[in-house]
Amino acid sequence: MSGAGEWITVVTSLLLGLAAGFVMHRSDFCLAGMLRDLFLFRSIFKLRILLLTVLATMVLVELARQTVLISLFPYPGFGTSGLANVIGGMIFGVGMVLAGGCVAGTLYKMGSGKVVSAVAFAGLIVGSVLYAEFHPVWKSFADKMLILPGKVTLAQTLGMQQGMVISVVALLLAIPLIFWWRGGKLVRSSAADGYLQPWKAGLMLALLVTLSVLIIGIPLGITTSYAKAGAWIVNLIAPWHADVLSYFKARAFDYPNRLLGITYCGGPGPAFDAISLIQFPLIGGIIAGGFISVRLLGEFRIHANVPIPQYLSGFIGGVLMGLASRMAPSCNIWHILGGMPILALQSIFFVAGLLPGAWIGSRLLTGIVLKETH
Amino acid sequence: MEVKEIDMRGQICPSSLLTALREINANKTALRSGLLMLSFLSDNRDSTATIPESAANMGYGVSVVKEDDSYRIDVFAQPTEMEIRNS
Repeated sequence: MSGAGEWITVVTSLLLGLAAGFVMHRSDFCLAGMLRDLFLFRSIFKLRILLLTVLATMVLVELARQTVLISLFPYPGFGTSGLANVIGGMIFGVGMVLAGGCVAGTLYKMGSGKVVSAVAFAGLIVGSVLYAEFHPVWKSFADKMLILPGKVTLAQTLGMQQGMVISVVALLLAIPLIFWWRGGKLVRSSAADGYLQPWKAGLMLALLVTLSVLIIGIPLGITTSYAKAGAWIVNLIAPWHADVLSYFKARAFDYPNRLLGITYCGGPGPAFDAISLIQFPLIGGIIAGGFISVRLLGEFRIHANVPIPQYLSGFIGGVLMGLASRMAPSCNIWHILGGMPILALQSIFFVAGLLPGAWIGSRLLTGIVLKETH
Repeated sequence: MEVKEIDMRGQICPSSLLTALREINANKTALRSGLLMLSFLSDNRDSTATIPESAANMGYGVSVVKEDDSYRIDVFAQPTEMEIRNS
């Protein structure tokens, strides 16, 4: 790290992570729970908040794009979609429900002292490394299953202007949200100390994603770092093996940040690169944000006396999320908060897989993991 | 009145709500007759919204109190109108 651009990147990511972790903890903004509760409890309260968050991000990002504040669009990291996005989304959906939180939920919950989430975190790293073992096979399958080559967004596919498609979809999303707002369905009463209404958290997260796009050039992303952390461990234990894994030589992105006057270049390999600059501070920030929030409330306490099936569920869920986020590629934060607001096809496909995945995860959770807990 | 305490601290989401629903259903006769109160101890902040919401929908009374680092959620029989008038 030599220049101001790199330092601004690190500080920005850290602050975004801190804010996201704090806000998510205070409002119980659990993206895994939003989909899980739909199937498990027929409850759509959290799903309404998710729709509001996507809509707010959609509007903010589009405003920024229209005013030419976004230099690279569609964002680097999004490409041609295919069956791999759906399969990855589905496995991710199973994993996030079993782990009791998605890749971001796992972080802020771990920061707040949840031991099961720490186990899921370990699982995420293991899963990401496991993926590296069969990356060539999966990559070749994924490449064969691509559709609509060169079309990144829905607007490009339809041959229409981005602004036009976004306006129509935003209006369609706004209609139910206005009804829910007027009916008081976006507010929930909670006796938790320092509770932040989820709709406020959703708007704040929309702002954080937009800031990330404006300053860093891409939305919030986390999971390549899990693979990188795993690569470091493999490199430490068995450097000869790390050397032959082609995935560790892959490049996640390579793009210029015109605002900061630097070029980001990095991948999952065991090297200090742009992934380390952008994602590690974000991860550390989300964990620290959850920790600061819980400490300020005086609610930090580690309770490790948890039934074994729940630990196993957390670990297996973490492994599945780690695997899936490399297969998809990327996680729910990237796709739901980053890709859906620009109607990226990869993200639409990911969500199409995520929903049945969350349903399967819910069946496994109630049918096996929590069956004999008490 | 008998009080049954269920410690759910540290458990995976959404174990707290599922456990609470199971306990309420398994003990509904004693709960409704006012012989039993269920007292859930949880460190899951979300539970302070979801358990009271579900229990209230089933017609029970609920109280939530913060105890050190956790929340105690009590579920009990809702007093009838007659009982409220007589009290």
